[in-house]
Amino acid sequence: MREIHQIIKERQIINETIRSFFRSRGYLEVETPLVVRSPGMEPNLVPFETVVIEPNGKRYSAGLITSPEYSMKKLLGLGEEKIFTITKVFRNEEEFGGRHNPEFSMLEWYQQGADYQACMNETEALVQELATIFGCTWPIFQRLRVQELFLQKIGIDLDVADYSLLKHTCEVNGMHTDETDTESDLFYRLFLEKIEPFFEKDPLFVYDYPKHQAALSQMTSDGRYGQRFELYLNGIELCNGFTELTDAEEQLQRFEEEARERKNLKKTVFPIDETLLRLLPSLKNPSFGNALGIDRLHMVLTNTSSIEDVLLFPISQLYP
Amino acid sequence: MPSPNEIKKGTVIKYEGNLWVVTDFQRVSPGKGSSFVRTRMKNISTGKVNEYNFKSAENMTFEDVQNKKMQYLYTDGTQFTFMDTVSYEQVPISADMLGDDVKYLKEGLEVAVVMHDGLALGIQLPRKIQYKVMYTEPAVKGDTASGNITKEVELDNGLTVRAPAFINQGDEIMINSENGEYVERISR
Repeated sequence: MREIHQIIKERQIINETIRSFFRSRGYLEVETPLVVRSPGMEPNLVPFETVVIEPNGKRYSAGLITSPEYSMKKLLGLGEEKIFTITKVFRNEEEFGGRHNPEFSMLEWYQQGADYQACMNETEALVQELATIFGCTWPIFQRLRVQELFLQKIGIDLDVADYSLLKHTCEVNGMHTDETDTESDLFYRLFLEKIEPFFEKDPLFVYDYPKHQAALSQMTSDGRYGQRFELYLNGIELCNGFTELTDAEEQLQRFEEEARERKNLKKTVFPIDETLLRLLPSLKNPSFGNALGIDRLHMVLTNTSSIEDVLLFPISQLYP
Repeated sequence: MPSPNEIKKGTVIKYEGNLWVVTDFQRVSPGKGSSFVRTRMKNISTGKVNEYNFKSAENMTFEDVQNKKMQYLYTDGTQFTFMDTVSYEQVPISADMLGDDVKYLKEGLEVAVVMHDGLALGIQLPRKIQYKVMYTEPAVKGDTASGNITKEVELDNGLTVRAPAFINQGDEIMINSENGEYVERISR
């Protein structure tokens, strides 16, 4: 249990440092809506759902954003080159405590004309600047491709690994698999059991995720991997960044795929954001975007192990 | 069919022909694709502990269990005895089965005992448990003002935890039984 006043002061320093960092680099801070028609299509997320009602009683279904991503990309499509936002985001059916809270603070930033490598550089610079202020000393951030990690830790080459090799690898390692597993599930089972638990405390960028884990990222030139990265610090996943997909057709396909998956999982299928699809082709190629959890960053900077150590009103207090 | 999303501590799962009781779990979601439940569970007949990752969309077989409100009485070191406060029936549970929960037990504590087929498999602790501070060093002058300083306190069941510097011997404090962290002081 940490003292409230201390948490307030730390958070103020973090937010101010983030703001001055991005302003000094020519970014504009923007505000984006929290209540939207299409709060996010990711099959594993459960948005909070609500209804917007006009005075005349007309009703519109709505949700709270799981990320400001769609709005941010629309602003890029409208011509903004470098933008950042600090916002609350909402995800239902998340754990109470640990590394999760159903509402949490997110920093997202986007830049046109630069790719995910540039974004990793910028992420490292931001985190190091904060580390200096909080008296943390971290080495140079290591960067490893997912393919290298799998080769090192499990001895399989993702360049050539197919469904049956992944399945076989799970089985020889005595891992549980299920008949409904997709290639993506098998990959993640291995990542979860054989890779992630062995990350050191030192900062590590993991990048170039297999195609099925590409999310909204652009593919590498060989077409095998998505240009996506995550930063791990103290073994905690801090951010998720991409060279953004700018191809509206491909984006529509991925949205439709996600909508089908949501339907299969009996989750609400939200309408596809047509404005986003319309504006997407106006983005420069490459453009990068990154989403970084501020509460987790706060945890890492203060060497605390629970999100409740950095929140003034964690959910477990609101619903004891 | 129940989904792994419904897994809780004390859930009894039939897996590969054996019965397992869940001792710990954590939900994890990749940036893309299905979410998983990282599950630590104990084989009821062998006591062996294993970790499995179940995908949220998998089908699982849960066994019926009853949660019985009981009071913790005493231990002989290997067995922990609980009593049904209505029927006065007593049930022993082995230290193995209780795992980490053992350190939070104190005489008279009310817990939910997880019963399956007349067998006690484990307990569910209250999320917050009140203890009395039996021993702690007095705070060093100046420490209380700076806020973030904690110190070791020894509780009435022998457990040692970290608490803020302003806690004194004789105080009653609440501890979170999920992570052993200090929650609050009970005002006197």
